[in-house]
Amino acid sequence: MKTCILAATLVAAPALASAQELVTRSRVGLPDAPNTLTFRLTSYDLYSSDPATREAFEGLFSAFIRARPGWKIETQLQTGNIGQEQARLLQQTQAGRGPDCAMIDSSQLALFKDTGVLQPMNAVFSDEDVADLFPYVREAVTDDAGNVLAWWWFTDLRVLYRDTSIVPEAPQTWHEVKAAALAAVEQGREGILFNGGRWEGTSFDWLANFWAQGGELTDESGAPVFAEGDNREKFLNAVAYYQNLVESGAAPRRITSITDYDAFNAAAAAGSAAMFVGGNWQYGQLRNTLPEDTFAIWEVSELPGPTPDQRATGTGGWTIAALSDDPEKAALCGEIAKEIYAGPGNAAQGLLPTSQPIYDRYDAYDGPEYDLFVEALENGVARPGAAIYPEISNQIQILLGDVLSGSAEPEAALDAAASAVQSAYERQ
Amino acid sequence: MTPTAERAPGQGYPAPWLIPAVAVLATFYAVPVLDVTRLAFSDATLIQPASGFSTVALRSILTDPALPQVLGTTLVFVAVNVAVLQLAGLAIALLIVRGERRELPGMAAFRTLVLAAWVVPGIANGLIWGMLFDEAPYGTLNSLLAYAGLGPVAWLSDPQMALVSAVIANVWQGTAFSMIVFYAARRGIDPVLYEVAELDAAGPWRTFRSITLPLMRRAIAVNSVLVSVQTLNTFDSILALTGGGPGRATEVLSLFTFNTVFYNLDLAGGSVLAVLLFAIGMGLTILIGWLGRDRT
Repeated sequence: MKTCILAATLVAAPALASAQELVTRSRVGLPDAPNTLTFRLTSYDLYSSDPATREAFEGLFSAFIRARPGWKIETQLQTGNIGQEQARLLQQTQAGRGPDCAMIDSSQLALFKDTGVLQPMNAVFSDEDVADLFPYVREAVTDDAGNVLAWWWFTDLRVLYRDTSIVPEAPQTWHEVKAAALAAVEQGREGILFNGGRWEGTSFDWLANFWAQGGELTDESGAPVFAEGDNREKFLNAVAYYQNLVESGAAPRRITSITDYDAFNAAAAAGSAAMFVGGNWQYGQLRNTLPEDTFAIWEVSELPGPTPDQRATGTGGWTIAALSDDPEKAALCGEIAKEIYAGPGNAAQGLLPTSQPIYDRYDAYDGPEYDLFVEALENGVARPGAAIYPEISNQIQILLGDVLSGSAEPEAALDAAASAVQSAYERQ
Repeated sequence: MTPTAERAPGQGYPAPWLIPAVAVLATFYAVPVLDVTRLAFSDATLIQPASGFSTVALRSILTDPALPQVLGTTLVFVAVNVAVLQLAGLAIALLIVRGERRELPGMAAFRTLVLAAWVVPGIANGLIWGMLFDEAPYGTLNSLLAYAGLGPVAWLSDPQMALVSAVIANVWQGTAFSMIVFYAARRGIDPVLYEVAELDAAGPWRTFRSITLPLMRRAIAVNSVLVSVQTLNTFDSILALTGGGPGRATEVLSLFTFNTVFYNLDLAGGSVLAVLLFAIGMGLTILIGWLGRDRT
């Protein structure tokens, strides 16, 4: 038996070594391959810090490039600073120095579309592929002529996590959240945590409360309208919800310093918080990092609204788009999206696919949590595809920081934010 | 035969010798500054190139209600940092020199330890201090304070305290630079002067006031300029530590410039702020140079 294992190891060794050589820190494929595609990607998959994820993607990329021996992919990593990275990518592409293929954050896709730098990948995606996409995804990745300008390969959403030993029933409304959080505080826990620091996650997570009331950030032309008419009242209601949580002690004041989702995982591991507003991807992270019995007490539910019928959740995710006008490179870019990421890449990481057939195809989506995620996606709202969105988000972060730290009153802070956004909009 | 002083190569005709230095400075400093100035008087964004001359960005930025708050935060951040960096750097440099004079073991290791903070990148510095200042029940500094029966301190969530935390992080990293400058200057002072002071029975404070401080005045002036400009341009550690928040509590001018370009995509507005940053830096340099001039 031992001989058989040794023989099998020796036979597999060259293949393993070859796979390792095919994927390096800056390249996929053989260094002397005649054709080169440059690909700017995030650090969450092929170069993930999680060994299992990295290994899965190394296998997918190795198989992909073996089938195309004439090509090598030169990889370029993006940092986690999405705004800066995407702005730099756009600027480089416009100057003719961008990569051939890149991952573009879904919130920035409209900006890239408007500037005309995206090249069609119609040769790769059939009409059926496009028809299978969720409607909001289909609308985002195609133009008026039906060209496929990007492939949104995974989506995500925000949900409410709760420790069921402290909060057995999922709160359905803002009022119930506050009551449950205050009860948890009495038991020595932090009631509820959410992003409140100066970063995109703060505004995006909070926006669900605005959208749940039907609020709109921009009008059809992309002009900011969040502080006008009915939107103003809805905006202030959503601010008051967070402000009330902090001032009542249901949420700790430290939330104005939280600028990443890892803080919630840490709180769950330490058993210090009863609830938190997090991303769906954290469910898998908690499963992988918490002891089994600890993980068992955590459950997810849809984000509460002002009433049980008013719900929304922000949907994000990443797209892959071709930036090269070389049709061969554009096609290869599309094939990377289709063969590596959309489907096998989703399943490897448990990331939410953007079409129903992929959910049906992989066992990875059999868990009950995915039923909830898919259900919650029905109330999903994507960030507006307007160039002014990043500044709206910036001003919401400032507003929330000021209000929650007690430095400003909501009305005055909203006026200041609206004025700053309008000024920026007029200069765009 | 009367000895004649040897003439330096450039003496009398310095221009040819200065051309390479001027060319390098012009290429790598003046051209970018001129280009940024050009952009400041345009309507350029990250999406659209400049279409012509415009003062809209200039007027818009200078009348931005957020600018006074940002300038105020910058002033406090720079002033406190410069003062603390100078004092801490000087104190450590003198401590090391004194230790070396007494041949205390471990002074080289101590010097290296102080320098280690200096080589940490700004972003990493922000992340390190972010972990230390974490206000969660299991946060490092607050847990240590709790052992002493103190705290918890709202290191990053309280607007005033967040600025103090940003200063602490910057001082931790920047002290080494001041220390190097002062250490070199202190080592350059003729030891005979200290021996004479000792013979005259001068105490440590009198020696410091009458020998060390006057002879290090030029180093202090140079260090003030360098540290002021460095601190004025600091944004990476703040970006990682607080992102400028809560609200705008720790948003200094350089971070405001960054946000204007990368959130607003407003290249012209960002250029106006960059020119403002440059002007303030230049003004500080001239002012400190003038204050520290040799009056003899």
